Amino acid sequence: MDFADGALSAFRAVFASGLVLSSLYVMIAAGLALVWSTLGIFNFAHGAIMVIGAYVAWTVSIDLGLGQVAGLVAALAASALIGVAVNRLLVQPFLAQPNIILITVMTTLSGAFFLENSALLIWGPRIKQLEKIVDGNVFLAGTAISGHEAVIIVVAPLMMLALWAFLRFSWTGKAIRAVAQNREFAELSGIRPERMYAIAFAISAALAGFAGVMLGAIRFITPTLGADPLIKAMIVVILGGLGSIPGTILGAYLVGFGEAVSTYFLGAYWTQAMMFFVFILILVIRPNGLMGRE
Amino acid sequence: MTRTLVFPALFFGALALLPLMTDDSYVRHIAIIALLYAVVVSGWNITLGFGGVFNFAHLALFAIAAYATGILTKTYDWPSWTGIPVGIGASVIAALVVCLPVLRLRGIYVILVTFGFGQLCFQFVLNQRELTGGNFGFVRIPPLKLFDYSFRSDGGIGYYYVALLLLLITVVLIHRFVHSPFGWRVMALRENEPYAVARGIALARVRLSTFAFSAIFPGAAGAVYAQYVRSASPDMFGFSFLTIALSMLLLGGVGTIWGPIVGALVFSVFSELMTPLGPGRYLVTAVVIVAILRFFPKGLSGIPEAWQTWRKRAHAGRDVAPQP
Repeated sequence: MDFADGALSAFRAVFASGLVLSSLYVMIAAGLALVWSTLGIFNFAHGAIMVIGAYVAWTVSIDLGLGQVAGLVAALAASALIGVAVNRLLVQPFLAQPNIILITVMTTLSGAFFLENSALLIWGPRIKQLEKIVDGNVFLAGTAISGHEAVIIVVAPLMMLALWAFLRFSWTGKAIRAVAQNREFAELSGIRPERMYAIAFAISAALAGFAGVMLGAIRFITPTLGADPLIKAMIVVILGGLGSIPGTILGAYLVGFGEAVSTYFLGAYWTQAMMFFVFILILVIRPNGLMGRE
Repeated sequence: MTRTLVFPALFFGALALLPLMTDDSYVRHIAIIALLYAVVVSGWNITLGFGGVFNFAHLALFAIAAYATGILTKTYDWPSWTGIPVGIGASVIAALVVCLPVLRLRGIYVILVTFGFGQLCFQFVLNQRELTGGNFGFVRIPPLKLFDYSFRSDGGIGYYYVALLLLLITVVLIHRFVHSPFGWRVMALRENEPYAVARGIALARVRLSTFAFSAIFPGAAGAVYAQYVRSASPDMFGFSFLTIALSMLLLGGVGTIWGPIVGALVFSVFSELMTPLGPGRYLVTAVVIVAILRFFPKGLSGIPEAWQTWRKRAHAGRDVAPQP
């Protein structure tokens, strides 16, 4: 009886925290996957863009006191803008080079370094936190989680649905996929690849900015807040098979729940080591991801 | 032959005389760190530059060597002279372990798996707090000592010469590597892997040897670093350390013997000159990396070549000009 109760409450706690983690990872990883599938590059500045989003939201909503909606809008605009700048300055000039993958790893790493230290210069080393979107608690499967976390859980799948619908049905979404599949042919059909790259980057960065605003209310904002989520998103994207949106969603929920289960049973420290071990294992056994094809 | 030795002789001669010119402890500290960086980055150049393998675990090898040296000489009371062999051993073993998954992968996957390895080590260091000191780093590592002479005395001059000697050995080894059949195989795999394999080069064996060879340098430098600053910190696995080493390599020029060395020394000096800028200097660093990649992909080592083409063009211009 006691054992059953214990197991049930453990399950509930794991379920709730796993759901929150998964939802955060899905938002961050989707942007990474979008850029990978469109341009074939890995954006190491993705986590830093997320942090800038959180800081901008803090400045607008708390420092200037303009409210949360203004903060969110400003964060989305700022991160999308940075995404476009990253694409223009760090990716586009190198696209013609043969070892583009390595070069863009280096340029986007420098970009991340630049953004992190800019954040340190602008906002200083003191930690900050955003206000939660909704107050109060919600009961999920018998466990209390904050209303803010409930919003994250609900919004993340909706955003993925919107992203999927956008890529599937809208002209721009189709054009982005066309450029990803065959740049020359897309160009012949009157699509401007540079513009599609810029749009893909802007959407990806805005997703990161949104995730930053969500994360900024449950964790403390520091210039290096983005490093850990970026690495988790990398694991998600690899697990899901580089670039596929459904794969990324599956990957995010696997990683999120896996992390929650492992944290419960093995503790936070072993979980992190464990995740990288699994990550390397997957890379070696199935480099194309769980759902990837040769 | 004699002509090719002039530059190295002048270079090492000048560095050997540096302590006679100044005994300022700040200058000496910067010089020691810069020399160790030069050794580490030269080692990275073997896999990344000559081998063309996107190995992002190299700085983790440096950190592993520092931790291994620290733990064995402090916790397990090994004599301090074992530091360098221990560092090299740990680094080479770790490099072979990383290389195993790399054998099966290419492109972005190599970057991700080597990067993931560094993160795995980082998490392990945080995790094993009793062994490694966790977040706070592993501190109070015993300094290097030989026959009752502590290398801390005389303003750390001993460390300076140890680091300089390491760099000299590095240059000699890499020079021999570049002109050896082994080196040719490594570069052949970089230039055209299918063709090289078709000509009978054993990919797995050559790649494993490349990783093991390149790991010697961060191994030795990591050990000396740990014994010199007397601590090893988890930050050594981080992004910013990686970025700094990468910019040294790019600044000097990838795939040349002297490029990474000159890059490391020049970068260290500039980085110190920029200290008053605070975090601003990292912004400059980031911009410099991108600018080099964009406009001078060969780095500083491309300057002589650029100078020669410029001179040729100037010559040609003069020859052509008088004609109507």
